[in-house]
Amino acid sequence: MPSKADLTPRKGAFGAYGGRYVSELLVPALDELEEARKTIVRSSSFKREFRETLREWAGRPTPLTYVANFSKLCNLQVYLKREDLLHGGAHKTNNVVGQGILAKRMGKKRIIAETGAGQHGVATAMVGARLGFETVVYMGARDVERQAPNVKRMQLCGATVVPVETGSQTLKDAINEALRDWTANLENTHYLLGTVCGPDPFPRLVRDFHRVIGKEAKQQWGDRVGGLPRAVVACVGGGSNAIGIFKAFEKDREVDLVGVEPGGHGLESGEHGATLSKGTVGLLHGARTSVMQDPFGQILEPHSVAAGLDYPGVGPEHAYLRDIGRARYEWATDDEAIEAFETLARTEGIIPAFESAHAIAYAMKAVKLGHYEPGARILINCSGRGDKDLDTYRKLYGHRIGGGVSGAKGAHA
Amino acid sequence: MSLVHLQEAFRAKKHHLSAFLVLGDPTLEVSFELAKKAIELGATMLEVGIAYGDPSADGPAIQKANLRAMAAEAHTEAAFGVMRRIHEAFPHVPMNLLVYGNLVHARGFERFVDEALAAGASSLLVPDILFEEGEELRAVCKAKGLGHAELAGPLTTPKRLVRLAKTIDAYLYLVAFQGVTGARTGGGDAIGELVTRVSAGVDVPVCVGFGLSSGEQVGKVFDSGARVAVVGSYLANAIEAGVNAGPIGDGRHVVESFAKAFAPLAETAKRYG
Ligand SMILES: Cc1ncc(COP(=O)(O)O)c(C=O)c1O
Repeated sequence: MPSKADLTPRKGAFGAYGGRYVSELLVPALDELEEARKTIVRSSSFKREFRETLREWAGRPTPLTYVANFSKLCNLQVYLKREDLLHGGAHKTNNVVGQGILAKRMGKKRIIAETGAGQHGVATAMVGARLGFETVVYMGARDVERQAPNVKRMQLCGATVVPVETGSQTLKDAINEALRDWTANLENTHYLLGTVCGPDPFPRLVRDFHRVIGKEAKQQWGDRVGGLPRAVVACVGGGSNAIGIFKAFEKDREVDLVGVEPGGHGLESGEHGATLSKGTVGLLHGARTSVMQDPFGQILEPHSVAAGLDYPGVGPEHAYLRDIGRARYEWATDDEAIEAFETLARTEGIIPAFESAHAIAYAMKAVKLGHYEPGARILINCSGRGDKDLDTYRKLYGHRIGGGVSGAKGAHA
Repeated sequence: MSLVHLQEAFRAKKHHLSAFLVLGDPTLEVSFELAKKAIELGATMLEVGIAYGDPSADGPAIQKANLRAMAAEAHTEAAFGVMRRIHEAFPHVPMNLLVYGNLVHARGFERFVDEALAAGASSLLVPDILFEEGEELRAVCKAKGLGHAELAGPLTTPKRLVRLAKTIDAYLYLVAFQGVTGARTGGGDAIGELVTRVSAGVDVPVCVGFGLSSGEQVGKVFDSGARVAVVGSYLANAIEAGVNAGPIGDGRHVVESFAKAFAPLAETAKRYG
């Protein structure tokens, strides 16, 4: 059985999770980044540039939307934080703007990133173009095929997309490759990691750039609704959009924090990405966290219809929040997510990303599961928009659009 | 085996040439034959790895070696089996384990270290459990008599080198080039300077690896004060060439390709006591 708690990370730890499980050769880069986090990120001129760029280039603040028709279906009062309306189409932009400005101020000339679905790659390419970096994006060869439109968007913004042919040729291999590049080129290169995973200081750095989601939402909630939501719900891949919205409500104990993981074909099938529900403690990509692995410690390949949730690890802070009981982690299967995707589109005219649809799917079953009383007010992070998923949707579920049949499985089923 | 045997080897002989092999590459059986060949040609130590699917500190050559070994189902238990065979055949050749952290973590430190010792390991280096995170593992190694090694690189500060060296009882594994593993040509002078600086700064044996591919580099490394020169990616490339030449069968052509690559380096090493 994987690990008794025989390993307690020291640097940047969240309880028994986090730390720096990387090669000695990366220490200079991580030390430099941590120093920059403590000095540059905390400076008022950085904060000003970050805020202004988010406002003028990326379109913050994003709205809080009450979705009346969808609420009726769920037997809840549902408010969406609209990160789907952020430039680039997802919350990812908050982090790339923050790290992009930081890398610039650190004097780096080159940024590299990993991407699975291509969302983080696109966001990195956009910020790379704006700030004048040489940008290289590593992407599993299989994902390059599956996500062709996003490859084009990255290239249009001037980034070089490198297909990763090793291992399983997916996101985890892209991260391995980015770590290798960074080790060899750390003097002129910043690794712009896309979620709250990785070695310290990344989980804290990325989290802090996404705090704006929760801060805005809490303010908007106070102004428009009053009081606090009963629950804050977000999908969890690596966990960045979730931690970004959770953080503002962490001290409000009466607010449930609910992360929704990809249940894929169902947790019994073994084909899922529900790392916090089904994983065990392990070391992955520089952190000690909950991991999907076999008894020998070989990392397993996850499955989700949402490429952005298809990751065998999870941010260490989520493992910690789970253990101390501050956050709860549920899951939604591929089918439930697709139904939520269709339902939100049909009832509200909002097409969410497949990833975000997992959070929305949870809302559709929360009252039935007895988790909330009817009419409870909940806040969902709509982390991205679904345009990127239309090709996949057409391929896998195209028979459900239009014609007589689709209505049968629609919102009122 | 244990740390004691490694220390004996260091007392008996100043310079050691070591071959790095991923256990089970390309098959469990041929992997044993490769170890045997390396020792016959003049390797006086072995660095052995256990196949891992996410070798993030390795370049393409050793990544592929890992994948070949995984395809041969060389998981932790099978890999220990190969080690045991090597140890039985060559009881005086120290074997230093180089293993990714999650394999050690998943098995539990106590159990992993017990099994490594039973299989004949002299020391353990886990490249991705950073010094700051490694206290528990070091304590287990120490209590059970397995040597403990640490990595350092060209950018490791002198202050940090001293800190690392204080806890080490096996050797300091110095990475010759900043980057991932991979055979490189040339760079002799830069390696020489680096090895001289590091060897002078610490009083533990210095082992140099990551990128060595010629007798000239091996000589340079020894001349500059290193006690061990490790050849890895260069040999992995030779194994790959052998594998690509035809069906593996009894592995004869893989061993030949390997021997052809290793022999000139072994010849150079023989000139050093
Ligand atoms: C729209 C959207 N939501 C969520 C995620 C998952 O990432 P995280 O859990 O870090 O928010 C992604 C990742 O690509 C995404 O594109």
